[in-house]
This record gives sequence, structure tokens and C-alpha cells, in this order.
Amino acid sequence: MSSDYSNIKDSAPIEHRFNPYSDNGGTILGIAGEDFAVLAGDTRHTTGYSINSRYEPKVFDVGDNIIMSANGFSADGNSLITNFKTNLQWYHFNNNEEKLKISSAARLIQHLLYGKRFFPYYVHTIIAGLDENGKGAVYSFDPVGSYEREQCRAGGAAASLIMPFLDNQVNFKNQANQPLRYLSLNEVLSLVKDAFSSATERHIHVGDYLEILIVTKEGVRTELYPLKRD
Amino acid sequence: MAGLSFENYQRNQFLSSKGYAVPKATSTGTTIVGCKFNGGVVIAADTRATAGPIVADKNCEKLHRIAPHIWCAGAGTAADTEMVTQLISSNIELHSLYTNREPRVCTALTLLKQHLFKYSGHIGAYLIVAGTDPTGSHLFSIHAHGSTDIGYYQTLGSGSLAAMSVFESRWKLDLTKEEAMKLCSDAIQAGIWNDLGSGSNVDLCVMEAGKDAVLHRNYLTPNVRSQKANNYIFNRGATVVLKEKTIYSKLELVSEEVIISTPEERPEAMEVDA
Amino acid sequence: MNSIANRLACAGSERAAIHDQSFFSNFSTNNLAASLSPSIALPPISQPTKFLRANTDDSVNPDVKIKIAHGTTTLAFRFQGGIVVAVDSRATAGSWIASQTVKKVIEINPFLLGTMAGGAADCQFWETWLGTQCRLHELRNKERISVAAASKILSNLVYNYKGMGLSMGTMICGYTKKEGPTIYYVDSDGTRLNGDLFCVGSGQTFAYGVLDSNYKWELSVDEALQLGKRSILAATHRDAYSGGSINLYHVTEKGWKYYGNHDVGPLFWETKQAEGSFNNVVT
Repeated sequence: MSSDYSNIKDSAPIEHRFNPYSDNGGTILGIAGEDFAVLAGDTRHTTGYSINSRYEPKVFDVGDNIIMSANGFSADGNSLITNFKTNLQWYHFNNNEEKLKISSAARLIQHLLYGKRFFPYYVHTIIAGLDENGKGAVYSFDPVGSYEREQCRAGGAAASLIMPFLDNQVNFKNQANQPLRYLSLNEVLSLVKDAFSSATERHIHVGDYLEILIVTKEGVRTELYPLKRD
Repeated sequence: MAGLSFENYQRNQFLSSKGYAVPKATSTGTTIVGCKFNGGVVIAADTRATAGPIVADKNCEKLHRIAPHIWCAGAGTAADTEMVTQLISSNIELHSLYTNREPRVCTALTLLKQHLFKYSGHIGAYLIVAGTDPTGSHLFSIHAHGSTDIGYYQTLGSGSLAAMSVFESRWKLDLTKEEAMKLCSDAIQAGIWNDLGSGSNVDLCVMEAGKDAVLHRNYLTPNVRSQKANNYIFNRGATVVLKEKTIYSKLELVSEEVIISTPEERPEAMEVDA
Repeated sequence: MNSIANRLACAGSERAAIHDQSFFSNFSTNNLAASLSPSIALPPISQPTKFLRANTDDSVNPDVKIKIAHGTTTLAFRFQGGIVVAVDSRATAGSWIASQTVKKVIEINPFLLGTMAGGAADCQFWETWLGTQCRLHELRNKERISVAAASKILSNLVYNYKGMGLSMGTMICGYTKKEGPTIYYVDSDGTRLNGDLFCVGSGQTFAYGVLDSNYKWELSVDEALQLGKRSILAATHRDAYSGGSINLYHVTEKGWKYYGNHDVGPLFWETKQAEGSFNNVVT
């Protein structure tokens, strides 16, 4: 009965594997100040050794004075942010255009992420904004929704390069006799620029442009700086 | 014993089967090119060495000298390109001494391909070999398994496609030296900008018949690091002191010499009445 | 079909749920977890668990794409003066220290605490979810939920997800009139144990070592707090996956009280000096 073809088919195992994830590189960084918060990201979009785009923004003003970025697999990141925006719009419809608190936004994102606990979004998410008292706030999330409010957080490809630098320069870790204090916006911006230019030097998935979104009580402002392109 | 030692092979196989990852070799995910011109040949390389996604060396040297007029650009495993080049360099030198003749590029090519074939790809060296010898100027490429190519222009490494696009669109027969240098450095730049495995600077080597080979180390440096916004000097006392201990060293008298100096003999004494 | 957590999450599409009659009767049905938990998306393949393990279990494959935070030392014990709960604050993903400032005690309500070991998201999510369940119980029954009942809601929930990859090791600690100070250990295998003393997490053995040798029922409140703190300190010293700082809680008939955050950096040297301990460390 068996033909040559079916013989081959039976003897050679065919691997079927569901592989829906890829890594699009890039890095993000959020720092909270006393009355402001920044969320910065590079704009390089990669797969493997290829640059897909030199300017693909991944930090977004999602409304209600909240900025958001989901770094990792960009399709999942975009989908998460779209879902968040949709939910935010429903919240406005149902609650007479009431502004969503950043703490509530964080809880909503936890539910969006955990809703895919068994098929996770492959992203490291950070949001930034101002809390109810006007103080800067940064919330960061793991891929399945565990979250925490922090003073600063780096995510993505070069997180392991930037985070130790932030621990030392923002929270003054391993610096004796250095009292904790809020950094000014200018201090924070120069730290962010140095963090990204340094990450660009040593990580191949980081580069091209640095886009910084800044939240103050006046609203959201964007700054764009060039990074090395090699 | 000379050659490669395999004494840890079985142990390492066992270790990796137990889940201990094999240490990553620095790979020069690279762009290297070569191009012939009227009267010689040019080879060029970028200077980035990577370990996974991390840049291990921003200004490494990928151009190796096999003989004074024969140079070679290497891609693949950094240690392999370096060692295989040195080995063949020695053998070429000995062969040249033995035969009392100028070394030939095709000799280097044969030595390299036979060595690499013997190790069936385990020596991860991908090379562009070029040079001048009494038979003219030559340009070859070799893959890790031992196969070789000849051509007017060659590209290898992760940036080879980007570099090749430059050659395929702009190469012509009878290039001048300057044209060939420009073409090669442009090809390397195509790799530097568009391939993440390549970056930093352009190294270039010109081999002209009847002249000494000229190595242009850092021929182009289009990726100088910008000035940092802050300086990061720590305040005094930033390091915690857990314990202090002072050691007074006892001085032992070894020898004694007494010099009686008079004011007239003091050389540094100022002359008051000159 | 309807879900509390989902309703809290996306006000829009789930609004109808509020008017759903079955909503209030769900609690007594057998299919409790399925009806009250939010719907969770599954990958469109035949074996979702295998897929999840291949992509998230870093003990199977150290190079997995999604690394889930693991590694902890947590403890809780009963004594004459109530319950002491002490935890470290480190979150790790493989060998990477993801955070040194994690809140591993989840304040379910003013009388109930839950601890976090295993998957950070699993614990954080389901223990806050447990908080909503406990509040609903209060509204329905006009009395606070017992620790036994609260812990059973959680253990039933995780049992419904058994084998799907949830990772939790938690202690539900609380005080009610009829139970007194009570601790239940609940984990993602479905185990639920009532007991006087538990340590959970990768540093549990180190914490047990100190705790067992110094524990007695008659401990004063100050002594008990000190012992809880000291046990976690020992664990952070020997377990690479535990560290950061120590969060301390005391549970009594008046509810829980927070006894501060203690950085193990300076605490270690203070303890060494004060006790003359940790003599293995020589400066």
C-alpha cells in the first residue's frame, strides 16, 4: 500500500513547533522626579543582525498625562498599548470623561498582562506619569503582570547595562555619605542621554535615535536626540 | 605537544549535556572585503568584535599579515582567525626560506584550505586572502570547511550582503588604486551602518605590485563617541570603610655612611657674591 | 462568563455582569474558580502547558525568552502575642536581580496578609483577587471571612489551574475571633496546611535553621519580631536568590501592623557587631 512518498513521510519526523515570539531589541528607561517623570526609548527596530527601522517610536502618550512603553516583541507591545488605549476610552465613556489615575492605569495593565498568563505578551512594560499628589511616578511590569512603583527602571535589551548605572546615580547605591534626594529635570535628562549613548556603544540592538517623553503638570513633551547608527 | 589539544572534549560534551552552557567565543560578526585594481589589491575590514549582542571590542584588528606582501582579513571566531593566520604565516616563512623564493598567495591559500578542511569546519575561520607575489596580484576567499573562491572582489562575514551590494552596483574592471580604496571603504561602511554585527572603524590594506604593502589602521573613524553630558567623579568618602589598620614598618639598618658637608660644598647653596 | 477581576479591569464590555443574577449565587456553585476568575487567553495549540513551559520555565531552559521572577525567603509563625510575618524583597529572573524592592507581603485586607513566593505575578494577582473575594464575603454574610475560608478560596482556585504552570507558595495569615491567630500555607500544587510556623522559598532552609533553634511560644512581641527579622537576614546571607531588604509585620486581634523596611546591607553589619555573630565573615 505504502508509496515511496508515504514511506518518506513516515520515516522523517517533522518538527511542529509553535513559535510566535521574536525579539525586536531596543531599550527603554523611566525615571520619576519630584514633579515630573520621564520615559525614554531608542527608536531602533531590529531582528537578528538587521535593522528594520531607524525610527520606530515605542514610547507613547496614551492620554490622561500617562506615557507608556512595552519593549520586547513589538507586535505584542503594540497590541498591549492599543488594548490599553481602548480600555481607557471605555473608562472615559463610562465615567463621564474622568481622568484615570496612574495607579489605576497600572492595575489595568496588570489585568491586561495577566489575562494572557498562559500565552504571555513578550514585553517589559513601563509607564510614567504623576500621582494624585503631583509627584512623579514610574510603574514597571514583568511579562505576566507583576508590577511595582519605582523611582527608576530600565527595560529591554540593554536593561542589564543601564540598571546598575541607575542604581548608582539615581538611588545613590554603593555611594556612602550621599543622602537621597530628588534629581532635577536637567540632571535626569543628562543621565538619560548618557545611559543611552553608553548603551549604544556596547549593545548592538540599541542606537539611531533617543526619544524622551517628559510628563509635567503642563502635559507631555517630546525630545529627540541622535544616537550612533553603527 | 604541538597542534590542538582535545583532552577536554569529552568533559565539555558531558558538561554541556548537563546544562552547563559552553562559554561563548568572541565572534567577529563582521564585514570584510577585498577588491583588485590595476597593479594590486586592497582588503578592508570593520573593527567591531561581538559576544552575542554585546560589543566586546570597539576597535579590534581583523587584518592579519601572513607575509610582508600577503595579507588576510578574517571573519568568524576571532581566536581561530588569529591563530590559523599565525600558523600559516610561520609555515609560509619557513617555506620561503627553504625554497629561497618570495612567498606566493596561492601557497598561503593552499596551506589554509588544507588546514581548515582537515578540521572540517570546527576551526571557524572565514578569510579573505590577498597579496602580491612574482606572479602578480591575487584575491581569494576561504570558508571554514575549506572551500575557496577567486574573484575581482570578495565579501565575507555577517555584513557581506550589505558590502556586496556596493560592489555589485559600482565595481568595474581596471579600477585605479584610489577607486579601489574608496570602493572597499564604502563597502565596509555599508556593513558598519546596516549590519548590527559590524561597526566602528574601517581598516584598510593596500598591496601594490613591486611596493611594500601599506596598512591603513583606522583608515576611517566615522563612529567617534560623543561627549558625555555628565562627569562621574565620586565625592571623597563615597567608599565605605569597614576596617582600618595601620602597619608601621620597622626599618632595619643595613649600612651607615656619614657625609660631612660644609657650606662651601653644598651644591644647592646660593652664591651670594658672584 | 462573568468575572469580578475582569469587570474591575475593563469597565466597558463587562458591565452587563453587574446585572447578572447568577453573579451572587456563583459563590456556592462547584465551579467557583472558573466562574469568578477572569478569562485567560490560551495559545491556539494542542498542548498549551507544554508551550508555556518551553517559553517560560528557566529551570528547563536557561535561555527562555520570557523569564518569570522567582526566588524568595518568606516566613510566618504563630506565638503567644499573635503572628509575625517577615519576608525579603528580592526578585530574580535567572541570574538577573530584577528588583531589590519587591513587596512580598500582600495586604489582602486590614486583618489578612498573604506572602509571595514563586511567580511574582501569580501571587500578586491572585492574592489581590482573593481580597475582592473576601470583601464580597463580608458584604454577603455581614461578617469577616475566616482565615480557613479565605485560604480555601485561594487553594481551590489554584487547584483549578493545576498543571498549567502557576507557581505560588504562599502563607495566608490572619486573625478572627473564632480562630485566633491563624496561618495557612497554600501552594500551587493545591497543598493547603494549617500550622504554627512556615518558611517558604529558595531560602527557606536557612530561615528554618535560625527560626527553629530560637523559636518558643512564649516569645515576647519584640523578641518575635527580632527573630523573624534575624531569620530572613540569615537566609539573605546564604541564599543568592534572597536579599534586598526585610519587611516585617505583626498580626493581632486588632489586625496587622507594619514594622518597617530594613535594608540587609547595613543590618548585616549591625547584627554582626551587636551579636558577635556571622564570624565566618572577616573584614
